[in-house]
Amino acid sequence: MHEMPVAQHVLNLALQAAGRGRVTDIYLRVGELSAVVPSSVDVFFAHLSRSTPAEHARLHFEIVPPAVQCLKCGQPADLSCWRDLPPMQAVARALAAGCPCGDHQLRVTDGTGFELTKILVEDDL
Amino acid sequence: MAKIIPILKDITEANNQIAAGLRERFRRNKALVLDIIASPGAGKTSLLERTIERLKDELRIVVIEGDPTSTLDADRVEAAGVSAVQINTDGGCHLEAAMIRSALGPDGLESDAADVIIIENVGNLLCPTGWDLGEDAKVVVASLPEGDDKPLKYPMAFLTAQAVVINKIDLEPYVPAKVARLRANALAINPGLAVFEVSCLTGQGLDAWLDWVRQKLAAKRAA
Repeated sequence: MHEMPVAQHVLNLALQAAGRGRVTDIYLRVGELSAVVPSSVDVFFAHLSRSTPAEHARLHFEIVPPAVQCLKCGQPADLSCWRDLPPMQAVARALAAGCPCGDHQLRVTDGTGFELTKILVEDDL
Repeated sequence: MAKIIPILKDITEANNQIAAGLRERFRRNKALVLDIIASPGAGKTSLLERTIERLKDELRIVVIEGDPTSTLDADRVEAAGVSAVQINTDGGCHLEAAMIRSALGPDGLESDAADVIIIENVGNLLCPTGWDLGEDAKVVVASLPEGDDKPLKYPMAFLTAQAVVINKIDLEPYVPAKVARLRANALAINPGLAVFEVSCLTGQGLDAWLDWVRQKLAAKRAA
């Protein structure tokens, strides 16, 4: 249900950038750890954008996998050993396992965000 | 003709800007702000009640209650002896900085005079982790009966928090979950966590938690 405020933020940002044009396409990067469900954003966006210049705009989602890195040696963690697990669980395992260098201070460097990268705008008649 | 407009903004950017404004205001007022995150029923409000009872003669505390629809939690907090501002999220699953700003009001006299502002987020371990409210620290309350694997299921909550309060430890003899395992799992996800083992029912372990709150406030005042 928090996709509704998320969809509202998407709409606000797109309308702000579009000026007087009509928004036809919106490109988004969705981190797999962002706890945002794209199909749900779609539903809320369609509802919220009614009667705005972004009505009927298509949302394009690029899914961004998580990345984890050791704070000490800078090595990225190998998440492929847990590829059968959901992303959140794979990250938890990687954090719990620590780095091969022996350090346990890891941080998540990617996959948490939800970004609006660009929009396509058609000039109004 | 269609044209491409690059934007490259995080969806939370508008929220982050408001949160930055709040953080500056809290810095000026030297108020410690804690964002309490937990699943429903973990004992957020109970922790607040115990904290208020023990600290209200020593510190001025204001509570911001995020709740999907009711005022039940705010009523409990006020009964414990401090003022509470209620935010109903209308079913929404997390608080955003704009809600905190409007709850505090433009003059915000009461909160500006507070030593500690405690925000009780909506019961949810997923979304509140991604929204900055201008707080000094997020604190996760994890209750033992929920299971000692909570940190492994919801790593982002434990990763973004500075402290975890393990609640309901008095139930350890009756449930399969173990306090030591919950602690170890939390520290495996985030070795920097301060961990407190408490029972809000019996009062066990609360002293260490209260000392941590005092220390965080002292650090904020010294900054």
